[in-house]
Amino acid sequence: MLEWLQQTSLAVHIRDSLFAFPLIESTHVIGLTLVFGTIAIVDLRLLGLASTNRPFQRLADDTLKWTWVAFVLTAVTGTLMFITNASVYFHNMYFRVKIALLCLAALNMLVFEVTTRRGVGQWDRDASAPPLGRVVAALSLVIWIGVIVTGRMIGFTTTRASLAAPAPVEQNLEELLGLPGNE
Amino acid sequence: MKQFALWLSATSPSVYIQEHNTWVIPAIQSIHIVGIALVMGSVLMIDLRILGWAWVDQTLRQTTDRFGPWLTGSLWLLLVTGILMVIGEPVRELVTFSFWMKMALVAIGATVAILFQRALRRHEQRWEDTLAHSRSIKAVAILTFLIWVCIIFLGRLIAYDHVWGSWSPSERQ
Repeated sequence: MLEWLQQTSLAVHIRDSLFAFPLIESTHVIGLTLVFGTIAIVDLRLLGLASTNRPFQRLADDTLKWTWVAFVLTAVTGTLMFITNASVYFHNMYFRVKIALLCLAALNMLVFEVTTRRGVGQWDRDASAPPLGRVVAALSLVIWIGVIVTGRMIGFTTTRASLAAPAPVEQNLEELLGLPGNE
Repeated sequence: MKQFALWLSATSPSVYIQEHNTWVIPAIQSIHIVGIALVMGSVLMIDLRILGWAWVDQTLRQTTDRFGPWLTGSLWLLLVTGILMVIGEPVRELVTFSFWMKMALVAIGATVAILFQRALRRHEQRWEDTLAHSRSIKAVAILTFLIWVCIIFLGRLIAYDHVWGSWSPSERQ
């Protein structure tokens, strides 16, 4: 399965291109900063640390739709990076911890949706959410920072030998033929 | 610049970071990314307010009072962690096209953020009544967001400076 993913023409194209992986990775960073940046706005509101003068529901409506847009962007670019070297990422410890943390973040959000948010009418205008909501918010911040840290560590613990800038083709040819290179 | 980078890499703070690079560099980079996230969240919300797509129950001043200090504080955090990264890996950072292009855009982005906050405080009524609805200000809001997007691109491309071909000083030698 992992081998097959790496052999798909899409994965091969990304691996062979000088530009694809850096551009996909940059887009991934744009997506993830928007995900964390918007989630932090909601979490700080739940904790009573910022935007306390705004009803929670309005703030969430203004913010979370952008979180989802950014999350889709991040997930798509993340998947594209994964398939270029699936077997290496799959066995990387930080990658596994990151996926586990993402699952925890989803679970954390589910807990919030089925408990605290059901009764939002009672605390919508309060300066902070009820205790469980505050715990969820604090956990959310910690988990997402963990996702960022483990994500960064993946880059430091996996080698992308095939992605290291290959020499331009002409230069290789010149070397092969024993011709003098361009200075 | 190469000379300066080489000199910097021999100084003791740089040597310290290099000797502990397995955790210091990723740690600083992670804090840097958290800072960028706070900037992106703040800029997005202020720009959406100017476009009239979010925070419309709040005045422009209220929105800016909420996000302005976070934006400014995050920029300071980014400056500190950014300087630490340059000290830790001078050649990798300074001898690239991406880094200097990024610094130019950061200067523009930070100037826009400071001028905007100052102008809003001085002419609050005019901003709320007319300026925030003007097309040119809305265009500037979109442009500002795109500048920050480009800054993130260039920041990540420091690690892949070869994409610039002969524009990259490290490719030229």
